[in-house]
Amino acid sequence: MAKPGDSRPVFLDLFRIRFPIGAIASILHRVSGVLLFLALPPLALGLEMSLRGEAQFEALRSLLPAPWRIVLGTILAWAATHHLLAGIRHLLMDVGVGSALGTARASARAVLAIALLAALFAAWRGLS
Amino acid sequence: MKLSIYRFNPETGDRPRMQAYEIEAEAGDKKLLDLLMRLRTVDDSLAFRRSCREGVCGSDAMNINGRNGLACLTALDGLAEPVVLRPLPGFPVIRDLIVDMTQFFAHYHSIKPYLIADGPPPERERLQTPEQRARLDGLYECILCACCSAFCPSYWWNPDKFIGPSGLLQAYRFIADSRDTATAERLDYLDDVYRLYRCRTIMNCTEVCPKGLSPSHAIERIRLALLQRSS
Repeated sequence: MAKPGDSRPVFLDLFRIRFPIGAIASILHRVSGVLLFLALPPLALGLEMSLRGEAQFEALRSLLPAPWRIVLGTILAWAATHHLLAGIRHLLMDVGVGSALGTARASARAVLAIALLAALFAAWRGLS
Repeated sequence: MKLSIYRFNPETGDRPRMQAYEIEAEAGDKKLLDLLMRLRTVDDSLAFRRSCREGVCGSDAMNINGRNGLACLTALDGLAEPVVLRPLPGFPVIRDLIVDMTQFFAHYHSIKPYLIADGPPPERERLQTPEQRARLDGLYECILCACCSAFCPSYWWNPDKFIGPSGLLQAYRFIADSRDTATAERLDYLDDVYRLYRCRTIMNCTEVCPKGLSPSHAIERIRLALLQRSS
């Protein structure tokens, strides 16, 4: 990146850069972390409210229509699974486990695939 | 062959633009650099660096179809068209595909990329066992092309503070050298939240190194050396 005051252009259009699978797993690790961070306060409040009694539980259900609950559940299932698995992958690689390029690519693919499966499972559970 | 090349001329003050070219590769044109050299006979205003044309000098690093690489090592066969060429990401552009590498080399110099050996010099050379010499394999071959650092998100966002994969690989090359006596000082310098620990093990560096090296592995070894030292 250019220093402040440097008027020279810098090519850094992320949509024109072909990212390897590890970079995609890494950026989604951050995205999922942000989603979980944002979701935590309303989820904690919702849990607290739902435990107060049957009436409050029903009131909470009526706050969010079923289709939105499924969408939200699917996104959060993906985010939680991806963040957990990518985090474990990251910790292992930090101590040299699975840090060879081939293994790192395979583990990145596995994280992406398992998180996607978790999302699909959550969506299926929500619809059934 | 169709190409789309990033153009920027500082003298005009115009914004950078992509320019389309179409040129036929001729017999003997095997690598992307061959085609660029041919293209320059048609348009001599196109600016790019090149020197050895065989992957040793590291001059012709650029972003080729979204990935960093050396034009002289990139085979024309199998390249998706149009071949989109842009300057190394994150580096200030001087002109067309030529970038300013001042910051990159400042980091390189900061890690003292030379042997520091205290004590009296031996009468003959400083000997190493074959095993000690083998520890430098995969480290000394770096040609400082900057493909790795210019593909590292951590370096994009903190180019002034994070040494970057290339500089850290070079730093480990001297830490791993049995003849070097400044390991403690080298580790002291690297033990910093930005200089070393800004690496997030994304491994883009290892993905694009045109020499097949693994800067991420060198960074991992530095971390382990620091951990062992502190325990």
